[in-house]
Amino acid sequence: MLIDVNAYLGHFAFRRLRYNTAEELLKLMDERGIDKAIVSSASAITYRNAQSGNEELFEEVKGHEDRLIPFAVINPAYAGWEDDLRICREEFGVKGLRLYPKWHNYELSDPRCVELINRATEMGMVISIPIRVEDYRQRSWLVDVPDVPLDEIAELVRRCPEAKFVLVNGIGFVNSPLGQKGSELPPNYFIEISRLSALLRNEIGQLIENIGAERIVFGTGIPFKYPDPSLVKLEVLEISEDEKEMIRWRNAASVLAL
Amino acid sequence: MEMVIDCHAHLHHHSSRTWQEDDRKLIEAADKLGIDKLCCSILPPRFPSTPEGFQECNRWVAEAMERFPGRVLGYCYVNPGYIREALDEIRRCVEEWGFVGIKLYNEYRCDEPVVFPIVELATELKVPILQHAGHPHYFVEDQPRLSDAGHIAQLARRYPEAILICAHVCGGGDWEWTIKALRNVPNVYLDTSGSVTDEGVIEMAARMLGVERLLFGCDMSMTAGIGKVRSARLSEDEKRKILGGNMLQILERRGGRC
Repeated sequence: MLIDVNAYLGHFAFRRLRYNTAEELLKLMDERGIDKAIVSSASAITYRNAQSGNEELFEEVKGHEDRLIPFAVINPAYAGWEDDLRICREEFGVKGLRLYPKWHNYELSDPRCVELINRATEMGMVISIPIRVEDYRQRSWLVDVPDVPLDEIAELVRRCPEAKFVLVNGIGFVNSPLGQKGSELPPNYFIEISRLSALLRNEIGQLIENIGAERIVFGTGIPFKYPDPSLVKLEVLEISEDEKEMIRWRNAASVLAL
Repeated sequence: MEMVIDCHAHLHHHSSRTWQEDDRKLIEAADKLGIDKLCCSILPPRFPSTPEGFQECNRWVAEAMERFPGRVLGYCYVNPGYIREALDEIRRCVEEWGFVGIKLYNEYRCDEPVVFPIVELATELKVPILQHAGHPHYFVEDQPRLSDAGHIAQLARRYPEAILICAHVCGGGDWEWTIKALRNVPNVYLDTSGSVTDEGVIEMAARMLGVERLLFGCDMSMTAGIGKVRSARLSEDEKRKILGGNMLQILERRGGRC
């Protein structure tokens, strides 16, 4: 079993994506042995009304719910987010949220964001936060969106101890309380591997040492990114088979209550 | 299976306390990923480099070629601002120590006249120049003379006999811009290295430039480097050319030192 916690459907404003329909993404997943994937709308990152992206996503995943696990993009600074959250949960059955505080211009410490996380947690939903969407060096001349600082996420996980977070597209955790031993943060967050090194500095190995393999999850970033870099990491990591299984699917299955 | 050659690697400056261990880790990473040879330079911690600074770096590369026989191939790094010392150094490194190419960084933009004598010497010695490059859509304050693919194309048109390598398309800003800028300059090769693993970059480069102009590289992003070539929708024969066949042909221009 292999579960990808970092996948997308739809369009991105600044670059053409391939494999961005359910049918194409599933074909790519089949080729790479990926059984299930958490998917959210790439379009919702730049739509003003993110809910339109969620609606497109749910139409797309219909009939594929056994493999594509939809997460909703909700902007708590936008009108009607409470209704969007309820509709996404009750009508579309989403299992989690993806939050883009820097793209949607709000702070993780904003009371509206904390309220969104608390409500979603009460509904049993998981909170996924992409640290970035794409490499900042290739950003369009139209936008300058910074990465989500890991310190702000550390503060959030401390503030919302009941919530479950999945942090994707991140790096440098070992230099943050999120990836260090003895930080006294609640063990309520999981770190995805697509940007982490498995060789040389071997940040994945350091994280396993510091916070345990039970907190690391497999993800690729498809179709923004190629799947094989993450697959190669699993191949070269010098860890036990039991730890690899945790990273491949068991941790994700646990957090998603699959 | 043909040889796998990383066209863009770095050994570590000896001012680092851990340089020996870090160099060894690079070779071990290459072992795990099936990389036969690494084309390496050492860059100084501060720029612009003095003649003593680049001479020291190149001497350490020569020592590493002996320490890791058959695994490390040398790039001679110079600062064109010290043109007499730079030309002497290139000749020594290539003719006496068997280096396979020249590495230029960002002290000067590559289409500035100060660089021309180096290109002329590289052409005479039949070695390639690996040119650090990038095209972000913003001014890079700490690299005011950063070259981009357009500058490299200009240089290539001036010296059609020279072999130029545009460095790290996957770590140099807008890769679509870079690929398009190189379309009509057949003596420029594109190095696939960098930490960015965006889906489609290799296929676009292959379609626009031809697989014969693509050179596999990691620039220390090891799993990213291997993973994106593995993911690319190309034939096994095309991948073999990218992974080593094309670089081997470049190296054979000077007598096949591999």
